[in-house]
Amino acid sequence: MLNLCAVHKSRGVGSQRYSLVIPALALRAGEQVAIVGPSGCGKSTLLDLLALVLAPDQVGQFEFHQQDIGGLWRADQQSALAALRSRHLGYVLQTGGLLGFLDVRGNIALPRQLLGLEDDGSVARLAEQLGISDQMGKPPAALSVGQRQRVSCARALAHAPQLVLADEPTASLDPLNAERVMQALLDRAREQRAACVIATHDEPLARASGLPVRRISCRRDADGGVTATLGEAC
Amino acid sequence: MRIALVASLAWQDYRRDAWLSACSVLALAAVIAPLLVLFGLKFGLVSSLTERLETDPATREIIPLGGGRFSSALIEQLGQRSDVSFAIPRTRQIAATAQVGARVLEMLPTAAGDPLLDGLPIPKGLDQIVLSHTAAERLAARPGDLLEARFARQVAGRVEEQRTRVQVLAVLPLEAFPRDGLFADLALLEAAEDYRDGGAVPALGWPGDEMSAVEQRVYPAFRLYARSLADVEPLRVYFAGQNLLVSTQANTIAQVQSLSRNLSIVFWIIAGLALAGAFAAMLAGALAAVARKRRELSVLRLLGFSTAALLLFVMVQALYSAGIAAVLSAGLYGLAETGLNRLFVQVPGEHASHLLARHYGVALVAVLGVSAVAAACGGWRVARIQASEGIRDV
Repeated sequence: MLNLCAVHKSRGVGSQRYSLVIPALALRAGEQVAIVGPSGCGKSTLLDLLALVLAPDQVGQFEFHQQDIGGLWRADQQSALAALRSRHLGYVLQTGGLLGFLDVRGNIALPRQLLGLEDDGSVARLAEQLGISDQMGKPPAALSVGQRQRVSCARALAHAPQLVLADEPTASLDPLNAERVMQALLDRAREQRAACVIATHDEPLARASGLPVRRISCRRDADGGVTATLGEAC
Repeated sequence: MRIALVASLAWQDYRRDAWLSACSVLALAAVIAPLLVLFGLKFGLVSSLTERLETDPATREIIPLGGGRFSSALIEQLGQRSDVSFAIPRTRQIAATAQVGARVLEMLPTAAGDPLLDGLPIPKGLDQIVLSHTAAERLAARPGDLLEARFARQVAGRVEEQRTRVQVLAVLPLEAFPRDGLFADLALLEAAEDYRDGGAVPALGWPGDEMSAVEQRVYPAFRLYARSLADVEPLRVYFAGQNLLVSTQANTIAQVQSLSRNLSIVFWIIAGLALAGAFAAMLAGALAAVARKRRELSVLRLLGFSTAALLLFVMVQALYSAGIAAVLSAGLYGLAETGLNRLFVQVPGEHASHLLARHYGVALVAVLGVSAVAAACGGWRVARIQASEGIRDV
């Protein structure tokens, strides 16, 4: 479903250079993995590459849903990438990424509306499962950080995507809420047989959630720049 | 792209930014409403003046100066021209008078289509007349009254006089003909002329010389009205080409047309400057909106919205402002129009300020068009928004 091989992304030059190298990353439907590493190591960059919002610099292989993503980026096929994002991807952002002009129900339902999907009750069901059904009419600004993260999880899952990406979904939460949100997200993704990539600096939480962990390790190069490499599962 | 979804999202965002939205609406209304008032004044003033000219047939009258020699066939031909609404021969002015009671009235020939008698019965034959308002007042005559008209002549130093009874069919309104006058069938005027020329009028039993039947009658003048104000000047030019001097109201008409043209120039200069300012304001507003909503727009892009959909999002919000501003401006103009008409209008039916439904339509389309183009120019920066750039902060 997702297959990356020798994908590189660099930013900056000289001592300000930061490079991310993904030697290999393959995910099957329903497979879940945690990407861990210290702040600034490139977890978000990896997720943005997987979310098709950041163009890779070099691609050995980058396939998603039988589509050559490297080729789409090279051909600047923004519409095709946007269509893939809307249909097959769900993204839980670090701080929720909710739209302030929509209430909770509107935020969760938006990916389905964009695809022209009828409301089959999945929005209410997800809200119920994530414990936010009593918040549906509220604007995001009226929610706690934990509630916002749950709404963000619900939005990422609402249209039953094949790949769910989560960028530090529990970073702003207390340990108890962090565990609840993480578990709720993983359970719903499992139900939908969606592959899941969770970027977190909280390795113990990832392991406690039963996720295989892949670390991003950094090294300083001769030019003073930094190269981060995604390691194998450990 | 789901246009309804984009429009709905744009409306919800527009409502959330109610204060900023209200500011953009007021900024637009501050341009549109004065323009509507200005155009309403220009249109109301000019249309009232034009209407005043158009409703007064005298403005369209073309009066031949000096004596001429016109056959009835020539005058009939003139009457059939597309730019002429009515033409009828006139007999010699010195012979075209009738004494009714103690008053000597000017006689004018009339027939169907006479613009002065618009809506009134047309006198036919030798025994029907229409009186002018002042003549009827002086004679204390009313429609239906029978009057005695007397016609005098001098034959070999001896004064002779004949009389005939005529019925007053109608009385003209004062504004149609402000002098003492009597409108009658051309036959009655020809009879008076023949009698004064010493001839006999067998139809009325008046004695005199036998008039030659074979000799074609020649008329010294005619009554002629142009079909519209715009036809007056071309007709003047036509008669000048025929070496016939005529008197027209062309100058008065030209003054109104010149006023209309000059006011139009002033209006379009002001409107052009104001619309350019509004365009710049809307362009700046769209640029500011894209910058302000960068994070939300990047989330929408992350969710799969295309560049066109994001551009539409910005444009639709500008159209909401334009639509509301247009309605608000129309309301403000309505208030201004009522006030101006109350203040300045003295003649019922005329307007100091007036707009037609099509003017509102054109204004709405213009405002929506300018807003859409300005928003598209300003909002084009959404194409540069990358989903990855704003999503870390929302």
